[in-house]
Amino acid sequence: MLANVQTMDVVYVNIWAVVISLVNLLILFLILRFFLYRPVRRMLQQRQSQVDRVYSDAEQAKAESESMRQEYADKLQSAHDEATAIVSTARERAERLEDEIVKDAKEKAEGMVRQADKEISQERKKAMNEIKDDISAISVEIAEKVIGREINQEDHDKMIDSFIDDIGQ
Amino acid sequence: MTATKKSLKFILLDILYLAMIILPFAGAIVLKVLITPQTEGVSLTGAIILWQIPMPLQDLYITEVQINSWAVVIAILGLVLFLRHGLSVKPYLKRQLVLEWIVEQCDNLVMSNMGQAFMGFSPFICAIMALSAFSSLSSLLGIFPPTSDLNIIAGWAILVFILITYFKLKGGFFHYLKSYTEPIAVMTPMNIISEFATPVSMTMRHFGNVLSGVVISSLLGVFLSSLTAGLPGLLGQIPFLRVGIPAVLSLYFDIFSGCLQAFIFAMLTMQYVANGFPGEAYEKRLKRRAERAARRAAEKA
Repeated sequence: MLANVQTMDVVYVNIWAVVISLVNLLILFLILRFFLYRPVRRMLQQRQSQVDRVYSDAEQAKAESESMRQEYADKLQSAHDEATAIVSTARERAERLEDEIVKDAKEKAEGMVRQADKEISQERKKAMNEIKDDISAISVEIAEKVIGREINQEDHDKMIDSFIDDIGQ
Repeated sequence: MTATKKSLKFILLDILYLAMIILPFAGAIVLKVLITPQTEGVSLTGAIILWQIPMPLQDLYITEVQINSWAVVIAILGLVLFLRHGLSVKPYLKRQLVLEWIVEQCDNLVMSNMGQAFMGFSPFICAIMALSAFSSLSSLLGIFPPTSDLNIIAGWAILVFILITYFKLKGGFFHYLKSYTEPIAVMTPMNIISEFATPVSMTMRHFGNVLSGVVISSLLGVFLSSLTAGLPGLLGQIPFLRVGIPAVLSLYFDIFSGCLQAFIFAMLTMQYVANGFPGEAYEKRLKRRAERAARRAAEKA
């Protein structure tokens, strides 16, 4: 298109061309450094920190769950122990109560027996007294009828009492 | 993965970034088509001069090479911005995986060749590889590849040489001078030559590989044209052998060799810088400096 185009030789040395090329390489280095490496490095660092965080979170969660498990196991164990203790104390108490009840019942029964004995002896005494009275009355009557005269009741009672007492001994 | 719906702003930015990748190359191709003269046969020439700017020492020529290398830089910037777009801690875009893979690979390369202390070199190595590979690959689009210009690669090699010397000087200036007399003092001139041979050899290796590809492709084109030129009639007019066969060579010279040279250049950079760095002397120097500072602080107190 252009009439006379000038060209360079195949091999030539031009100091400004060298400088331009050198500067081009420097510029490209700076471009790559600031537009490629810096963001990529920053991103990789962020990713690394994120991964680290995820790992530490997982680690923490694991430790937490482990401690929770331990806690629950402890709690379960303590509950178990408590239940055992409750049952044993309850049994103890029940046994004690049983003993008490049995003892009470025994005492009561003994008391009742004693009371009954006492009552029996009293009744017996009373009956004996009554019989004694009856016997004296009857014997007075019989004696009146036999003797035919009235004996002084008072003397008579005295006499019979002494008589019965003699017999009783 | 694609559960999050892309917003309109996101799509527009994507389009902008893609345009940043495509438009520079499209512009370079248009420029190439507009300025390339119609020539008969195959000729081997350098880049076409667009402007000539007078500067001290030497005139500055703005040629295709400069335009194309800027196009490559802008395209790489666009590519980076595109891949980086939507970067998040939880990747939901496939491009983020590509981006992470690139960074990881560069980091691994630097880590295994230079060690932990040189991790800051990772973007530089990535830049060298990207610039060299994309420059070589740009010839696939039909534009003049910047890597087939000696000055471009010389610029990179000189930057690498500056880095090598900077890291060598970290062991102290005296240590740096002494390193020239090792293993024996007689070797000094040789050592000086080999020191300056480093950037030259790096330049020539890369440039020679790309240039040889260009030369061989041109020669093959001429050769294939001449094969069919003897045929009678219309057959002789159309160099039909030039269809297809050069593509196979291009596969090697443009794609394989281009990527390989980028990798070799990066590897050499890492090796030279890491080997040139006098670790022990640097540590000794740091220790001495710390001791001196401590002594000065003690004197003050």
